Amino acid sequence: MSVATTHPGEHHEHHPSGILRWLTTTNHKDIGTMYLTFALIMFFVGGIMILAVRAELFQPGLQLMQPEFFNQLIGVHALVMIFAALMPAATGFANWMLPLMIGAPDMALPRLNNWGFWLLPPAAILLTLPFTLALFGIGDGAIATGWTFYAPLSVQGGIGVDFAIFAVHILGVSSIMGSINIIVTIFNLRAPGMTMMKLPLFAWGWLITAFLLIATIPVLAGAVTMLLTDRHFGTHFFNAAGGGDPILFQHLFWFFGHPEVYILLLPVWGLMPHVLSTFSRKPTYGYTAQVYSFIAIGVLSVIVWAHHFFTVGMPVPALIYFMFSTMSISLPLAVLFFCWIATMWRGAMSFETPMLFALGFIVLFGMAGLTGLVLADVAADAQYHHSYFVVAHFHYALFAGGIMGVMTGVYYWLPKWTGHMYSETLGKWHFWLTVVSFNLTFMPQFFLGLAGMPRRIPDYALQFAEFNAISTVGAFILGFSQLLFAYNIWRCVKGGEKAKDQVWESAEGLEWQLPSPPPYHSWETQPEIK
Amino acid sequence: MKTFVRQFLRQSLWTLLALPALARADYSWNFPEPVTPIARDTLKIHNEFMLIITALFVVVFAIMIYSMVKHRKSTGHQPAKFTGPKGGLQWFWALLPFAILLFIDFVLMGIPAVHAIIEMEDTKTKADMVLKVTGMQWKWQYEYPESGVKFVSTMSTPREQISNAAAKGENYLLEVDNPVVLPVGKKVRVLLTSTDVIHTWWVPQFGVKRDAIPGFLRETWVQIEKPGTYRGQCAELCGKDHGFMPVVVHAVPEPEYLAWLDKKKAEAAAAAGSGDRTWSKDELMAKGKEVYDKQCVSCHQANGQGIPNAFPALAGSPLCNSEWQTKDGKLIKDSHVDRVLHGKANTAMQAFKNTLSDVELAAVITFERNNFGNTMGDMVQPAQIKALR
Amino acid sequence: MADSPFAPEELARRRASARRLAWLLGAAVLALYLIGLFIKR
Ligand code: HEM
Ligand SMILES: [Cu+2]
Ligand SMILES: [Cu+2]
Repeated sequence: MSVATTHPGEHHEHHPSGILRWLTTTNHKDIGTMYLTFALIMFFVGGIMILAVRAELFQPGLQLMQPEFFNQLIGVHALVMIFAALMPAATGFANWMLPLMIGAPDMALPRLNNWGFWLLPPAAILLTLPFTLALFGIGDGAIATGWTFYAPLSVQGGIGVDFAIFAVHILGVSSIMGSINIIVTIFNLRAPGMTMMKLPLFAWGWLITAFLLIATIPVLAGAVTMLLTDRHFGTHFFNAAGGGDPILFQHLFWFFGHPEVYILLLPVWGLMPHVLSTFSRKPTYGYTAQVYSFIAIGVLSVIVWAHHFFTVGMPVPALIYFMFSTMSISLPLAVLFFCWIATMWRGAMSFETPMLFALGFIVLFGMAGLTGLVLADVAADAQYHHSYFVVAHFHYALFAGGIMGVMTGVYYWLPKWTGHMYSETLGKWHFWLTVVSFNLTFMPQFFLGLAGMPRRIPDYALQFAEFNAISTVGAFILGFSQLLFAYNIWRCVKGGEKAKDQVWESAEGLEWQLPSPPPYHSWETQPEIK
Repeated sequence: MKTFVRQFLRQSLWTLLALPALARADYSWNFPEPVTPIARDTLKIHNEFMLIITALFVVVFAIMIYSMVKHRKSTGHQPAKFTGPKGGLQWFWALLPFAILLFIDFVLMGIPAVHAIIEMEDTKTKADMVLKVTGMQWKWQYEYPESGVKFVSTMSTPREQISNAAAKGENYLLEVDNPVVLPVGKKVRVLLTSTDVIHTWWVPQFGVKRDAIPGFLRETWVQIEKPGTYRGQCAELCGKDHGFMPVVVHAVPEPEYLAWLDKKKAEAAAAAGSGDRTWSKDELMAKGKEVYDKQCVSCHQANGQGIPNAFPALAGSPLCNSEWQTKDGKLIKDSHVDRVLHGKANTAMQAFKNTLSDVELAAVITFERNNFGNTMGDMVQPAQIKALR
Repeated sequence: MADSPFAPEELARRRASARRLAWLLGAAVLALYLIGLFIKR
């Protein structure tokens, strides 16, 4: 029942071909594809870095690298994964899907959109260039402070810090442009009849993300600018000797950093109900409750930041406030879990790859949420903080929550994007290998943290050897399994079984009314929602 | 679930890997044995919370798995159509989990948590003594303000063990030259600060982790209940050798502690006295090498070549090969002695006059001027350093 | 689902209002950033 109205004949396509097409395109689908491709490449870049780290940590002693280089790898790994893999992947989803889902002909500001993407590659280059420059004897390598830039360590650092500061600025500008575009597109270009409370949940998730980005990226940009002036222009924002305060940096950083977690996850939470409802053949449970939970999480996320540095020493009332505000996030989050499971309840489930990833996501992200709840406890956090327990926790959130969520979306929409079905067999292999090796990698890290292993150390005491060895084996399986993912996508782009317009038998939403793949210009005639 | 995890891990342990290290198999699954009231409290809270979240996990996902088994298309289950709770009973069942969660958050977990915070932050009442801890790249300085004892504690694991050139010792990376000694049963107020970047003082068995922040004083407390040697590490990334700045605490009965304190005081007095005499060049060079190998080698390297673009070489350095005082005995700014005494702002080069004695400073500077191919030939005497303080 | 043709003037109106909102949000971002720079310690 394709109602798509495209007029390839009447509509004269002027877009250039070859590289110029991609450089100059203002088409949301092209830009979405570029974002997603970029994210996939950077996912492997960040992955290779951390596999080097895991190899170093396979056994006690320094085998492969010096501590300086180790410190650079962990920080750049995180910056790449967060800013250049996960965020662009989510933006890629938004670009591809939002116009299709809300019945808009394109994003509202197509040229801004193009610019937003093309800022990313230079930023990624800035971030990683210091590694290369060091090979030629320029500077001492990339930023070695971890991804958190904590002053005064970052004031002390080499040119890698300056490069990272500029990279973050550019990435921030790109995110803000993307966010503005998404907000105005949702507000202004919805199909007639699509009220806000009929908006697909994916769009709602992204809308809150966009507002969070707009509220917090400027603070991050401000913080790193202050860092830059402390480094080069004699200011003392973070230097006690000049009347500044190093902890101010942590406040500013985490005012951005905590919402950032939700920025990474909200688009995925928005996507989940679509997938669960499709494969349970049952409408979404608790649409309104989910919308309000998104909003509540968005609001709460900007008032809990100090739980990331309880150990700096704070007044007791502040500790108690930040503990309870953090714990209260568990309520809207529980609403989401409830709605996800209630959506499946008494449905007619089938377990194609996207559904497998969605279920894997729910279980593993559940572990992230539950360990997060105990991390909020100040006294217990005194043990967990800066230990491998935290590393495990946030990988359950960011890898199992973020990356596996993105994989859910990729498998769910890939047939729509390419017009071909991916290989279900390979998809299932990819899922099971990922889930098993993910747990093999990160479950031992919980125990390492409890036993007292600090994070960000290139070498460790002998009692940590066994778990580290297991974790490294897991990480390598995890890393290599992702090649299956890339190969499956590649195959699907190249060809394969034709996908139906409706791809999944009971998928709901405007996007499924368009052909697979959708024409270059879709919804030139807007659909009407009743 | 935990036993499952345990089994799973054991399995992968024995099957996946045949590391010789495994034979020891002394890995632990929880916090190490607590030896302070705080640590005991924390362990208890942690255990309770783990039970709570494991229970939540099991219940929630049991429901989900039940649904995944029962409500599948392949068994011909017909999908329902509901999109939300309808009627009082359904609303009750939908809201119940949140009431439970509210109770867990703010009562079951909340109340013990608040108590623990108040206890943990009670640093001021009934403190028997004070220990001042200063973090610096990459060692800890400990000071007993009441008795004036002060010393630096650096990792004593030989570099050969780290580079795998020698077999690793039992306390690999968790051993120091001068451990802190504390009396058992006394409430010790620990004050923390730093001279360069942020460090974090952490001994897992004390249940205490607190940041040492340059320019600020932070505090915490410990009351060790059991004699023993307790080991921990710096927990905040503080640069290159962050992984190599362990904390080692000897907890001993009070008389033993007092005896140790007296010994330290005597040592300090002797060291101060030795600063007043004139030292020979050989003495200075020998002492200088000793100091260099502890304090300077991690950055400037054993051969004095530094690390390109990160830490400057001392071999052939203009600083080490030029005068450090004017004809009339004034300290030249940015000279060798000035740099070692006062450090360089915003770099890892710290002001060593805060941590080293006159003798140590004089010796190490003399050593650097006459080693690595540097041939200044001059000597710096402890008395000269003293005059510059 | 009826197709209602999407009038060019309607699209133009919507795009214009989208642009206005975009400038507004941009200004808000800039304001936030600049305020941050005036934090004194
Ligand atoms: C193959 C997958 C991955 C593996 C094996 C892995 C492994 C690790 C390890 C071992 C560390 C800790 C290094 C240390 O503290 O010593 C680390 C740090 C980190 N990773 Fe990952 N990671 C993976 C994917 C990701 C993804 C997808 C994200 C986020 C989107 C991410 C975000 C981070 C962050 C934020 C840090 C903290 C870095 C820091 O200490 O500043 N990682 N990773
Ligand atoms: Cu947080
Ligand atoms: Cu450290």
